[in-house]
Formats: sequence, C-alpha cells, structure tokens
Amino acid sequence: MVNRRAFMKSGALALFATGIAGGLPSFIAQAADSRKLWTPYKKNKTMVCIFQRGAMDGLMAVSPYADANLKTLRPGLFMSPSEKEGSLFDLDGKFGLHPSLAAFQPFYKENRMAIVHGVGSPNNTRSHFDAQDYMEAGTPFNKGTSSGWLNRVAGLMGHDATPFRSVSLTNALPRSMYGDNESLAISNLQDFAIQMRNTPGINNLTAKSFEELYDQTSSSLLNKTGKESFDAMKMLNVNNIKNYQPAKDVVYPTSALGNSLKQIAILIKMEVGLEIAFAESGGWDTHVNQGTTNGALARNLKDFSDSIAAFWKDLASYQDDVTLMTMTEFGRTAHQNGTGGTDHGRASCLFVLGNDVKGGAVYQNIKSLAKEDLEDGRDLPVTTDFRSVFSGVANNHLKINENKILFPEWNGTALNLMRS
Amino acid sequence: MARTFTVGAGLTVLFAFTQSNHTWETYRIKLPYKKAGLTERQAAAHLLSRFSFGAKPGEVDEVMQIGLENWLENQLKANLPDSEVDRRLQGMNALQLSNETIANTYLTPAQVVRIAIKNKLIQKDSVFSADKKEYRDQLKMLMEKQGLKPFIELQTQLINQKIIRGAYSNNQLQEVMTDFWFNHFNVSLTKPQCQQFILTYERDAIRPNVFGDFKTILVATAKHPAMLEYLDNSSSVSMNNELAKRPARIQAQKRLEQTINATMADTNNAAAKGFVQQALNAKKVQGLNENYAREVMELHTLGVDGGYTQKDVTEVARVLTGWSVTPLYQDGAAKKIMDKIGAERMAKNGFITEGDFFYRADKHDDSSKTILGKYFAPKGGYDEGMRVFDMLSSLPNTAKFVCKKIAVRFVSDQPSEELLKKMSDTYLKHHGNIKEVLLTMVSSVEFWKEDALREKIKSPFELAISSIRATNADVKMPMQIFNWCSRMGQRFYFYQAPTGFPDRGGYWINTGSLLNRMNFGLAFATGKIPGVSLDLLALNQHHEPESVEAALKIYSQILLPERNQEANIKRLTALINDNKVGDKIVAAANKTQPALQETETDMMGQRAEAKQEKAMLSKKNRPINTPTLAGNNTTVANVTGVIIGSPEFQRK
Repeated sequence: MVNRRAFMKSGALALFATGIAGGLPSFIAQAADSRKLWTPYKKNKTMVCIFQRGAMDGLMAVSPYADANLKTLRPGLFMSPSEKEGSLFDLDGKFGLHPSLAAFQPFYKENRMAIVHGVGSPNNTRSHFDAQDYMEAGTPFNKGTSSGWLNRVAGLMGHDATPFRSVSLTNALPRSMYGDNESLAISNLQDFAIQMRNTPGINNLTAKSFEELYDQTSSSLLNKTGKESFDAMKMLNVNNIKNYQPAKDVVYPTSALGNSLKQIAILIKMEVGLEIAFAESGGWDTHVNQGTTNGALARNLKDFSDSIAAFWKDLASYQDDVTLMTMTEFGRTAHQNGTGGTDHGRASCLFVLGNDVKGGAVYQNIKSLAKEDLEDGRDLPVTTDFRSVFSGVANNHLKINENKILFPEWNGTALNLMRS
Repeated sequence: MARTFTVGAGLTVLFAFTQSNHTWETYRIKLPYKKAGLTERQAAAHLLSRFSFGAKPGEVDEVMQIGLENWLENQLKANLPDSEVDRRLQGMNALQLSNETIANTYLTPAQVVRIAIKNKLIQKDSVFSADKKEYRDQLKMLMEKQGLKPFIELQTQLINQKIIRGAYSNNQLQEVMTDFWFNHFNVSLTKPQCQQFILTYERDAIRPNVFGDFKTILVATAKHPAMLEYLDNSSSVSMNNELAKRPARIQAQKRLEQTINATMADTNNAAAKGFVQQALNAKKVQGLNENYAREVMELHTLGVDGGYTQKDVTEVARVLTGWSVTPLYQDGAAKKIMDKIGAERMAKNGFITEGDFFYRADKHDDSSKTILGKYFAPKGGYDEGMRVFDMLSSLPNTAKFVCKKIAVRFVSDQPSEELLKKMSDTYLKHHGNIKEVLLTMVSSVEFWKEDALREKIKSPFELAISSIRATNADVKMPMQIFNWCSRMGQRFYFYQAPTGFPDRGGYWINTGSLLNRMNFGLAFATGKIPGVSLDLLALNQHHEPESVEAALKIYSQILLPERNQEANIKRLTALINDNKVGDKIVAAANKTQPALQETETDMMGQRAEAKQEKAMLSKKNRPINTPTLAGNNTTVANVTGVIIGSPEFQRK
C-alpha cells in the first residue's frame, strides 16, 4: 500500500489529487473553498468502538476472585490466579483476567489498557434489545431519541469530513450511528466500487458513465454525493484492500470481529479521514454451560482479545492516533444458574486500549458481592454510568467536550482515564 | 356508482364513493396540473411516480385512458382484483394466521429449546452443543411432530409479501400508504418480544386503515400486540386499584413469595431453584413504563414540539396502565391462569378481552388524571384510554404533524406552509379522515408544481420495486431484493428506533449507499440477482436496438417516461463511442479475463485513467462509429443497468 502520509504532510495536495483522481476530490475542494484547514488529513484521531452483543459476563472476564462471596455464588464457574497455566492473571490483587484474554496481558502491563468494572446503565431493564437501544442512543430513559451517540460525536467534531469519517463494519447502520451526520455502514470494503461481475472489462466505462450522469444531474444532493462517491471510490481503490498485507507477524482471527478490525486498520492506515469506527461481536448470552477455561465464553473471549491484539499490532506507528473501547449492554447474574450459565444481570466491565490511556489499572467502585451489596440481592450493581466512560474517552481522545449534546439528560462527570 | 364529469374545464370531476352502510358521499376533485403548467401526460407520470411504486411500461398511457381522476378514485377504493399477487402469495401459509396460531407455531429458538428440555428430548447439559447435527436433528423431529416451525419462516413470508405486493399489486396506493403508516407507527423485528406479531400488525392494524380516520389507525396500532410489546406498554402496570388491594390477592401474593423463598432456600433442590430463578428473571420489571405514552405524543400524534409536558407523558402512561396482550402461548402460565379463572368471572371484574388485546383491570391505575389541561375522573377504566386517543387525534397540533408527514412523503422534503394549512384544515374539518387529506393534497397546485416534480428521492425499497415494475421483472426470490435493500441502507422491518426511517433524500443518499444503488442497477439489469428474471427485449416488442445510442434512447423512454433525457443520452453516447463499448462487451462475454486487462486499474488507479484520457483525446474528433447489436443482449442489459443506477432514476 502506498503511504500517503508523507506527501500529504508536505502539503502536496495537488500531487495527491491528480495522481489518484485526475481532479481535485470534491470534498477537498470544498474544504479549500471554505478556507478551513483541511483537518481530515491532519493525522486524524480515531475512536474505535466494539459492541459485545448479548451481555458479556464481566464477573468472569475480569473476575473479583478475592471476594469470598464469588466462590459461593458460582461454585462451578469460579477461577483464581495461580502459577498453573489456564488460571487467572492477577491484575491488582483483587481482580483477575480470564486466561482466554491472555492477549490483553501485555497491554495491561505496559499501562496501555484500562479496565472499568461495574459499568452499566441506570435503567435496570434486563432486555437485550432495550438495553442496547438505550446504550447506543445514549439516553437510558428515552427510546425516541432519533440519533445515536456516535452520530452526535461526529456532529461535534467541528470540521469537514470525508465520507469515511464515521464507519460501521456492519451490514446495517447500528443504532449508535443513526442520525443526521453521514455515517457509512459497510461490511466489506471491497463492495466500495462499481461492480460488474463477470464483465470486469467494462467496469471502468460503467463507472465513467455513472460519473458523467451524476456530474450533470440537476439534483444538487445527487450531484454532490455522486462526486464524493466517485472520489471516495478512487481514494479507496479496492485493489489496495484486496492486496492488503497486515504488519509483519500479525495474523487476524478469521472471525467476524477479526475481519471487521482488519478493515478498520486498513481505513486508518490509508488515512481516509476515519474518526469513528464501529464493530460488533456476538455470542455473549451465556445462559447455559458457559464453562471456565474452556467453553463458550472462553472461546469468545479468546477471539475477542486475539482480534483486538492483532489490530493493535497491525496499527504499528498509527497506535498513537487510536483509542479502542469495548462495551456491552449489561452484565450477568452474580450467581450461576441451574444450567451452568448465568442470566441477565446489571453491571459488566469494559476495556479501553490506547497509548494515552492511563492503563494498568482496574477502575471501579464495587463494594462487595455480599447479598446486601447486590442489586435486588442478585446482581452486580451499576457503580459507574456507561456515559461517564464513553464521554471520558470522547472528551480526551477526540477533544470534544459538549457532553450535554453527547448525552442529553445526563449531569454526571466524565471518567478521566486518559492522559490529555 | 354515480359519476358526473363537469365538461368544459375538463378538470373538475364529481366522484361518488361507496361507503359502508350504504351511505354515499360525494367528492369534488380538481387536479390542477394544467394550472401548474403540466400536460396531461406529464401529470399522469407524476401521479404514478408518487401514488404508486413506479410506472410499469405503458402505464402512463393506461392512466390517461382511464382518466387521472378515475385512476385516483380506483386507488382510493383499493378494491381492484389482484390475481397476480394472489398467485405469487400462494403457499405462504403464515399470511392468514391469527396471532394465537402464530404464537403457538412459529417459535423463537429459545422457545424451541425450552420445549425440548421440557419433553426431555434433550438434556439441559447438552443444550450447549446446539450446533451439533445430532441435536439439530432431534429438535427438527420434535418440531415436526408437534407441528412447530422456526420463526425465520414467518419473517421470510412477511418480507416476501411486502415485496410482492409492492411490485405486483394493482392497488398501488394502498401499498404505498401501508408503507407510509407502518413507518409512522414503526415496530421492529429487532425486538424479540414483538417480532412474532409484526405480520398481523401490518395486515390487521395498518393495511385496512390506511385511508380511514386517523383515530382508527392510531387505536388499531395502540391495541395491537406488536406495538404493546415494542414500546413496552404491556408491562406498564399499577397496583392502584381495588382488585389489586383485595385481601385475598395480597395473601396469594404472599404465599407465592413464601414458596419462592422456600425453594430458593432448599439447598437440595437445584433444579427447582433454577426453574424459579429463571421464572423470576423472565418476570418483567413491575411498574409504570412511559415509553409508549411518550412516543404516542412525540412521534404518532402531536410531534416533539406539540405542546405537551413530561407530566402529560406520565399521565397518559397512567391512563394506559393495564393495556396489555391476551396471553396467547398455550404452554404459558398466564394462559393457564386465565383459563382457570374463566372468561365470565374476568368480565365481571372489568377485564376486557378483545381479540389479542387484553385490558387488565387489576393493573390499571384507578385514580384521576389530568392531560393537557383536561381532567379525567377516577375509575375511568378502559374507556378513559379511548377518550385520550380521541382527544389526541383531534388536536390541531396532531393535524399539523400528521399532514406534514404526509406532505413530506408525497410532495417534497420541504412542503410549503400554504399546502400544509390546506391539508390541516381538511384534517380538522373531516375528523382526521386521511382520504380527505390526500384529496386536498392532490387538489392543490403545490402537488403539481415544477419544484415538486422529481424532487423526492426514492427510498431503497422504492428504487428496487420501481425497477421491477419498470421492467416487468419476474421476482421468484424476493429475499434477494430484500438483501439489496439492506445493502442500500433500508433493512425494512428492522429499523430499531420508534421514529421509523427518516423520510428525506439526505438520509438515503450517501457515498456508500449511492454506489450500492448503481451496483444494484447493474446487477438487476444484467440478471445477476438470483431469482429475478427479466426480458428486456420484450419491452421493445422484441426488437433489438440498432446501436448503443438507440438502446439508450429506447430504454430511457421506457424506464423514465416523460423525462427529458436527451442531454444524458448525448453525453453517454459520446463516452460509449469513444470507448467502443459494444466491442468490449462482446469481448467480455466471449473471451477470458486476461484479454481485457489493459482496462483494469493498477494499485493507484493511475495507469488506466491516464490511458483512458489519452484514448479519449486522440479520438475526440473521430466520427461516431456505433457498433451494431445484433444478437447481443448484453448491451441492452448494461444500458438498462446504467439507467437504473442513474441519478434520474433515483428521483420520483
């Protein structure tokens, strides 16, 4: 892949433009017109969000093993740290990292990864749908909020954007990105081209035909978006994606999440102006036989951490510009259920990874797992509002600070877990 | 049917509509398109582009022959025979089922597993190996034995029928309005609690009511299980009533709690413990839930600035406590309790069962309420809710909000204030009659004005369906069309938020979706969408166009009736001739890929661009040498694909 940063930095915009498109990309031209700084090429900061759908068992991913109640509550699911392989990695004498999250250990030791525990929503719904909806809209008591919180993040960035500012590696736009600010949902970047299967010879011509037509349409919306589409398509030349080689020794898991993160890495490295990226991971609803060192949860945790670790390594010199944050709609019951699993609970935990993160710590206000400290006598209560973590990362990493817009109806303070 | 044409102006028509109960009403319609400077043909094309999912070949002529006003009358009556739809829907057995049958037949995966465990067909411990073939076979056998079907089959039929009706129904306006109202009163397949009911929601609450009084459709949606579950009203309850306070009831509740506590304390009975715990987990959070009450005002009636307060939201929520769903699932505990109590005793206590709607007197807040300044006395019961809907649907802010939404759908993204005033006035005068509002809209010159023509951008669904209609395509696998709609940004029935899809061009058109629209056009026309076949030559009476230019001209006229495409055709022809497209297409069809590599781009897209430019320069003054198309259908397909993906076809 050609690294565009060198000449972009040197200001050779024209060279870039003629080289790639045979004309100045219209969004660059617009930016120049409006006499604004062409910020998207000012080495963007990117916030990557991963939604773990189904509610991850935070008490097993990052286990409060030192609390004696845990073993009583879940005798069949209890794990503790030891020298033996396949046991917890002790984080701070209180919490232990699941062995399947081993890929996170170096990040934690290097102080790049922070863990927040006891995170969740003030709305105590235990419905996946409702909890995800509220978390993604960012308004835990209002379903009618038309926009998602990431869309509002995009709106607050305060500068011109490329079509790749806000990208979700999903088939349909996630609730987090609903709203007025342009967001792109695409599960495979290779689809970002004019495609004539079986007749590749006339691809160029067909693309050219469309370009001509959109160039002269009287609809200003179609005209403008058409131009941007063709510019973006050339910018994101699919051949670059097809032939993409990750950094040395990086192997992405062949899972959905691995694939999504690989494509996010491509967008970041191509410097196409990505600022907000979204990916998701499923299979966290472990009602039955969730297992300990082996089993459904362990497998999922391994894919989750291996994918993130591959992504991070692949970013190489771009790591400084990226912060990754995970999220899940709620946690699971403190006790195990009758089928070797856990049911819908309240708080869970999340991970924040980045070179500016004040990592190597578990941020938490958890009292204990004694019955009187549990919500409804059964669930880890929410002691950290998800909005304080989300806003903290957005504030510090993306330098936006209007939390009234990000999370209307919320008066709390942002959790500061990053060096700003 | 009495019908009087006022000759002379040629614009005024007296209509008579047959209404129920043999009452007759007379409408006077003017379609003032001439005043807006349109010919009758242009007006027919415009009418079709807004009041149908797109014109079929020759349909503009048909509408002129019938007469625009008559066509409209037929559409508003929505009783044209639909044998084509009937034929295509044959075998979709779920479409006529009741909610009760659906709830007991089309089970979600979780329900299936529960039954399997209950029947001891599988061990609890083996649930984890759900992906194993042995397990799947057992489940399949069990389901066949019990006549159960996976929910996905119901979902598929729901999606398929929408595409089939949109593409092939003669009652186009009814389908357009069904699409409109569904989106206005959105529910979503993403929410498991309501997904089983969405098919009947559209069928029973929406489609029959699209032209009636607004209050009718409002109440129909309010009382349907899909909406009651989607916005949680079914779990909005109050104990503030006499039934809940009866000593016997309180004692029963106490006994239940004791049993639960005893079971949970019994360390030996792990299985019973697990069962009780699961039942407790499944139990919905008890209390007032304001979700529906808020959205019914914000999104369905008054609009966000409609003059209500949070207090009003809470009060409406209290009015609607106890509005719930009849227990439908045979194996469910609620159904068993109800059967035990018996209908008579329940009716005596003020419970109301109306089909799937269930008013629970024991969960209704009996105290007084005040909504938008209007006092509702205590013990208003179920009727109190009906009075609230009556009030909401007759308020001027509701008229404004609903009329604006209709005008945005049918006229332009920014309808004029004059038009909105006319429509709202009609709404208030005719008790929210939607047919009247639509007639006022088309009788306004604003509907026909230059700035409204082609001003709306088709939604992905409209694009796909209009492509099918414009080419008389035969869709055997509608799911493929759904997948394309998803890629283009409209995963219909799956929009998560109660707002429904935003209805404006800026929402539908962005860089990713636009490229997908072009790719859809190409894939569709070149026969690369499985289960979709079209005979493009048949549209031109099986004549092959003599050149690419001719093909462009002919197919533009067929697909884009009454739109001036001359400039486009000229530019495309020049481009195509410069690139000798005909030869290339033949080569592509006959030869292997390597022969064509000269036109492929390199890593940065530079070489091919440069080459192309060079080629275009050198050929600039070359005389047009059009390739002949004998025996080459590919060109027609490609030309059609380009037209469908073109900006003009995105507009309606």
